[in-house]
Amino acid sequence: MQTENADAMKQHFTSVENSMNHSGEGNGAKGHCKSPKEHLVQIGGPDVPAYWKSMEELENGPRYKGEFPGGLPSADARQETTRRDFLAAMGFTLAAAGLAGCRAPVQNAIPLLVGSDEIIPGVANFYATTCRGCASSCSLLVKQRDGRPIKIEGNAESTIFGGGTCATGQATVLSLYDDERLHGPLWHGKPASWQEIDQHIADTLRASEGSKREIVLLSGTTNSPSTRRIITEWQKRYPNFRHVEYDAVSLSAMRAANAQSFGRAVVPHYAFDKARVIVGLEADFLGTWLSPVEFARQYAANRKPEGVPALHVQFESGMSVTGSNADVRVAVPPSQLGLVVVALLRRIARKAGTPPVAGTQDPIEAKKLDAVADELWKHRGESLVVSGSNDISIQLVVNALNSALGNIGKTIDLVQPSMQRSGDDAAMADLVAKLQRGEVHTLMMHGVNPAYDYPEPEQFLAGLEKVALSISFSDRRDETSSHAHVICPDHHFLEAWGDAEPVESHFSLAQPLIAPLFETRAAQESLLKWVGHGETDYYNYLREFWSTDIFPRQKETKNFDAFWERSLQDGVVAVPPRPTGAMPKDIMQKFQADGKAAVDKIFSEAAAHGSTTGDHFEVHCYETVALRDGRHANNPWLQELPDPITKVTWGNYAAIAPSVAKKLNLSDGDVVKLTAGKRQLELPVFIQPGQDTRTIAVALGYGRSQVGRAGQNVGVNAYPLTSIQGEYRRYFAGNATFEKTGRTEKIGTTQTHFSMEGRPIVLETSLEELHKAAEPEEETVPTLWTERLHGEHAWGMAIDMNSCTGCSACVVACQAENNVPVVGKDQIERIRIMHWIRIDRYYSGTEEEPVSVHQPMMCQHCQNAPCETVCPVLATTTSSEGLNQQVYNRCIGTRYCANNCPYKVRRFNWYNYTENPQFDFNMESPLGRMVLNPDVAVRSRGVMEKCSLCVQRIQLAKNTALQGERELADGEIQTACQQSCPTQAIVFGDLKDPNSRVSQMQRNQRRYKVLDELGTRPNVSYLKKVRNPLETA
Amino acid sequence: MRLQLVLMGVVGAALAVGAGAYQLSRIGIHQGYSPEQPIAFPHKVHAGDNKIPCLYCHYAARTSRHAGIPPASVCMNCHTVLEKQTVEIEKLKEAVQQQRPLRWVKVHNLPDFVYFNHSQHVVSGVACQRCHGPVETMERVSQVAPLTMGWCLQCHREHAKVPVGELERAAVGLKQRQKPAAGLDCASCHY
Repeated sequence: MQTENADAMKQHFTSVENSMNHSGEGNGAKGHCKSPKEHLVQIGGPDVPAYWKSMEELENGPRYKGEFPGGLPSADARQETTRRDFLAAMGFTLAAAGLAGCRAPVQNAIPLLVGSDEIIPGVANFYATTCRGCASSCSLLVKQRDGRPIKIEGNAESTIFGGGTCATGQATVLSLYDDERLHGPLWHGKPASWQEIDQHIADTLRASEGSKREIVLLSGTTNSPSTRRIITEWQKRYPNFRHVEYDAVSLSAMRAANAQSFGRAVVPHYAFDKARVIVGLEADFLGTWLSPVEFARQYAANRKPEGVPALHVQFESGMSVTGSNADVRVAVPPSQLGLVVVALLRRIARKAGTPPVAGTQDPIEAKKLDAVADELWKHRGESLVVSGSNDISIQLVVNALNSALGNIGKTIDLVQPSMQRSGDDAAMADLVAKLQRGEVHTLMMHGVNPAYDYPEPEQFLAGLEKVALSISFSDRRDETSSHAHVICPDHHFLEAWGDAEPVESHFSLAQPLIAPLFETRAAQESLLKWVGHGETDYYNYLREFWSTDIFPRQKETKNFDAFWERSLQDGVVAVPPRPTGAMPKDIMQKFQADGKAAVDKIFSEAAAHGSTTGDHFEVHCYETVALRDGRHANNPWLQELPDPITKVTWGNYAAIAPSVAKKLNLSDGDVVKLTAGKRQLELPVFIQPGQDTRTIAVALGYGRSQVGRAGQNVGVNAYPLTSIQGEYRRYFAGNATFEKTGRTEKIGTTQTHFSMEGRPIVLETSLEELHKAAEPEEETVPTLWTERLHGEHAWGMAIDMNSCTGCSACVVACQAENNVPVVGKDQIERIRIMHWIRIDRYYSGTEEEPVSVHQPMMCQHCQNAPCETVCPVLATTTSSEGLNQQVYNRCIGTRYCANNCPYKVRRFNWYNYTENPQFDFNMESPLGRMVLNPDVAVRSRGVMEKCSLCVQRIQLAKNTALQGERELADGEIQTACQQSCPTQAIVFGDLKDPNSRVSQMQRNQRRYKVLDELGTRPNVSYLKKVRNPLETA
Repeated sequence: MRLQLVLMGVVGAALAVGAGAYQLSRIGIHQGYSPEQPIAFPHKVHAGDNKIPCLYCHYAARTSRHAGIPPASVCMNCHTVLEKQTVEIEKLKEAVQQQRPLRWVKVHNLPDFVYFNHSQHVVSGVACQRCHGPVETMERVSQVAPLTMGWCLQCHREHAKVPVGELERAAVGLKQRQKPAAGLDCASCHY
């Protein structure tokens, strides 16, 4: 035995020496490196793709070499600790510990003075309301605990949105507890009382009567029917009143095009679930565009490989969430997008036998366009072409295309259109001109920030100075409101009553979850007061409005009180649609008449930009899943949310194609000066595979100069690169150049933190193979452990990678549910992000045309967990129900478990992130801490943490079942990530119940377990991604 | 003599160390903690002499993790009709009149890293006195049990198995419904 051991030891040492030699040689030893891509994952045969996570990995860059990829950040800053320091610290610690041990602090318990049968301390209530994170107006169910809203969920009652949410919606609850919101109204920058302000405003408005100068309400998309009624009252009271709707990222051209094509200036309501072929043109409908929660739900339901999955082709310049999910993604610069649409229309027209469409040129491979056109034509009546372009010519051609394909009325609903975007670019431009001419007397601004997001903020601000009275309803001093005479802060939506009509005749109610935290007032209430409604408060007005306008439109309930109660409880009401006029089904005839101009315009535009070559680029400005148009910039959860594609946090960057980077010798983090017309921006570059080679993509929503501590000056404002062309806002700039500044900036990316070191993590299959293959093979890895699952349940999870779009709602949902701290950019650079669930994004294929997979990754709850065997204090163990449990009070912080975890899902608390001025995010302020979930411990410094499969929800559900004297039902327990998922990609349940959904999914033939060959036996399974390639002839 | 001295020294030192170690092990245990309350509320009169059920006032214990201290309005259910007046009852009425919430001092405190749910125990048929002691005899409430993890587990171990069969069920005093087993997993209480 001894000799054997010694031999083994020797071998061990030799291998260590070898590896040391290997790492010692480092860069010099290139001799044995056969191919630069040898280290990439190669699964199965040579036909199966090799995966890579970042450009560096593909190139085998510096972060992938040596024992410590990326270097040792903490080793750089060496600090000397003297013996004296040590003794002083020890002495103090002992004394402090002794003193603290003497007496526990007195804790008080303060009950309510008057009890309520609705509020029981410690029991959560759920109320339906409507999200105001953006104008999509999703219906929500908000968890309220002891009077505080602490978690946002989707409202499963909603037939439009389902039970899912988006990342932004999940994070809005934190914005409620933002202590940088205004605490009361301001008059010329000084706190004032509401009475004084009302008096001043009433006087000024009276003075404007009879004047030719206008009173203007400038707001974002307003789809609240009761608010629209208030606006009509203003129109009646003041003939010189005008309402202008302005969206920072608008669909103005689409509305205008629909007015021209179909006689209705609306945004259609799309049905992605009815389309067999989906063609997206620069429309990130799974991430940010129009109604992403709804579209993601429809899209995933329509692409189940068990049925016949829809084909999705995406033409876009920068890599978006939608593009990363497409079966076929074609990189096209924004200026050439129109040519793609015309080329498709030409082919469809030929097939339909209608008069030919002008031109012959194809911006991309003709073969691909032929194939797409074939598919579209094969599925006419059940296909869908959507474009996010704000160019009316493109939208007109898209209308002609959809009409020729017979999609109108099938996948595109114009009878009950979407009301989720109604900003009008032309009206806004007209307003700015009027402001500058001094034709506006009073300007009221609600939910807008033109000083930040208008292309020419100087013009707007110059005009703003000329009004007699400017009123902002902003909740904080921002770029615009700080220039207004009065700020009348509106409630956060969780404090307010309200309603919305996201889709025509589909109503949604909003109710307050908490009494206003500050001296704020609902904007509607202010508007009612100033229009002379005196003492009517908005709640009564809303109720009255619903009784006269919405109640009569339904037949089910006879009593209004009952109707109101039920509507409030459900949150959503659908009534029969309003009667509309006839809709022209086929506009091809009409298009022939007036469409020629549109096609010509597209040709001339494309030609104007197409001539730029060499060092000239186009800049494409896009919204990110986290920050959207920038209004949530002070939300640290959103700032720290890794972008679904680039995995970058805290800031924006110029995304460039790998070939461009090579040509110009740029690497990640090199700061460049980007010049487009008279605008200049300096920002770091990020090399993005799949990025169009002629386009640079820059995210909007960053670079706020006045918003609050968390979001101030994070990134660069890209809105100045947008422009107004004719009547519409253009979100790209042509003829841009960039030059190196020589500076570099660190990019806070989480992308290469957790390299999978060349092992098969994501698996995919093709439809063909799926139909061929039989049952999945049984587990063969032998184990030395005894069977562990001896409890009543065996909790497990299944994640369908075919449904996961990477939208990242689950990441924020988990953060909210489990009190996960925000750590800031500096810590992220040190690879210390705390998220319990991350979404890994892998590329395969070439860097020009990469294929992406999104894989949510959290603790796999192994039955034979490698973390457990190395813990010296048994702080992590497997429970009788199969959970890998982490006991914080037992953990001593050796971090052995994190090192031994093959999935790299364990997170270490390097600091106290609570009440620590060094981490000045939500958990530093007493108000921000109100969002914490009282059922989950707040971890302190020096302990390890990780996904618990929401054990607090499991325990609560068990207890509820116990109280109800019944068994737990399948689906009763939903983890936070599962509940937030708009596509229902995540399923949690009991593996001991063979009929549970999770058991069924784990028997699916696509199922596999990550790194199963290690014998860890995870309780989390994945379902393979299925590819559905476009057949090109 | 010298040996005796050495022995005494050793024993003395051992005792001192033992006492020290014992004291150290008692840090954070507040058995016998009996703070003065803003109103000298006698549980003996209410729960003992007048036999008001615990759950009448602490109604939240049935449904919530917190047993909850009753709102003053619950006290006033009786005290609006009861004629008896004392200085302490005056304090209550004054607080109600002035709409001033009462700041009671919490007696039973658990560390933040423990999740304890009252309703789970109440529904499972654990008597209040099992943890809180004979509250119905106390003038001023004091902490009886040590509330340490070992003490919790003692009981949990006893009830870790689901009692099956009439004999076993009778032995643990279960009458009708089958009660669930008490958890022994770390994650039963720590998350």
